[in-house]
Amino acid sequence: MALPNQQGVDYPSFKLVIVGDGGTGKTTFVKRHLTGEFEKKYEPTIGVEVHPLDFSTNCGKIRFYCWDTAGQEKFGGLRDGYYIHGQCAIIMFDVTSRLTYKNVPTWHRDLCRVCENIPIVLCGNKVDVKNRQVKAKQVTFHRKKNLQYYEISAKSNYNFEKPFLYLARKLAGDQNLHFVEAVALKPPEVQIDMALQQQHEAELAAAAAQPLPDDDDDLIE
Amino acid sequence: MADKEPVVERPEAGEEEEDASAAAAAGEEEDTGAQVAPIVRLEEVAVTTGEEDEDVLLDMKAKLYRFDKDGNQWKERGTGAVKLLKHKQTGKVRLVMRQAKTLKICANHLVASTTKMQEHAGSDKSCVWHAADFADGELKEEMFAIRFGSVENCKKFKELVEEIAESLTKNEGKEGEDGGSTAGLLAKLTVSEGKSEGSGKSESTDSGKVTETKADTAPAE
Repeated sequence: MALPNQQGVDYPSFKLVIVGDGGTGKTTFVKRHLTGEFEKKYEPTIGVEVHPLDFSTNCGKIRFYCWDTAGQEKFGGLRDGYYIHGQCAIIMFDVTSRLTYKNVPTWHRDLCRVCENIPIVLCGNKVDVKNRQVKAKQVTFHRKKNLQYYEISAKSNYNFEKPFLYLARKLAGDQNLHFVEAVALKPPEVQIDMALQQQHEAELAAAAAQPLPDDDDDLIE
Repeated sequence: MADKEPVVERPEAGEEEEDASAAAAAGEEEDTGAQVAPIVRLEEVAVTTGEEDEDVLLDMKAKLYRFDKDGNQWKERGTGAVKLLKHKQTGKVRLVMRQAKTLKICANHLVASTTKMQEHAGSDKSCVWHAADFADGELKEEMFAIRFGSVENCKKFKELVEEIAESLTKNEGKEGEDGGSTAGLLAKLTVSEGKSEGSGKSESTDSGKVTETKADTAPAE
């Protein structure tokens, strides 16, 4: 589904609706995929924010238009209106908060009223945190309602590609579909003058003094 | 392995042995989703990585950051494999980094004679540099920082880039000389990560830890 103000693309695209309680990590998860950054600060989403996410697969490029919706009631906006023509969905809860899992049935009900028979992934986020409140074996809702379930961490990137891969496979009806290297285009030559280079080096020296985020968090083996 | 395993739960005292169903709840292979009719038909296509005409000089796991000037802070760009690739005909070397699992491009730029690696103030496993990046298919001035799993790997990367840049400087001084000598010089420079890829679990950190960071007012892409 193409949005009014968005130009379409010449490869398959899908509307993906992302719902779940506020603070479960919906926006952080999308941002992780968009820019690579991990957003720590909680800033409630107002209404909806739509972001295109492209993936390269062995069957060509595909795009998900990610409708990242408000989780908090007061910022809900059109609520159900955002679900119209949704072709797939993610329901996000936070494994460190029992209430967010308890509310999953409500999100599922509201979503399914509008979107019938679409593939849905249930995600338990923040599995990197030690003191989780919802254990893996306690998560059973997906079996009752025929959803797929993934434990994820937007912080550590654990399983962060799995929801998209699952949905892509379902939408294409191809269990063997997989992600492949995006094409690395040849970068053009760049001519740089001495003055600009000196400016770059000065900026770089200043930046080198700024700390890297999560320096103690060693994710590279 | 770029992603971190979830925290392993210790069995509670008196906890009953998990039945097969509960154990399968955490399984990834099982598809508990509903049967949905596929909405697109995709044919397998030949995969083009853009690296077909290049030799790999270096291939290491690392974590990449870009400097956000507006917020005056480093932000994560991706975690995955960073490669230095030498073109078989032109001898030009570029840096390509891909995000693990999704295999999207995090960085894609030529190594120029002006490319200078600086040490990062806070870590001897990191270095910083400036580049005209082509990751998104258009040139963008970026300051990058990269962090490796060890001091040795950081040193290998830094020294190799500096050697390449230095050889370009020398060749620029010899007007009219062909690219063959550059290719010859670079042919000897091949570094690879020696140790095998382990899948050991690393200790997780508490993501609930409050860290003061400046608010990012820049709009999302």
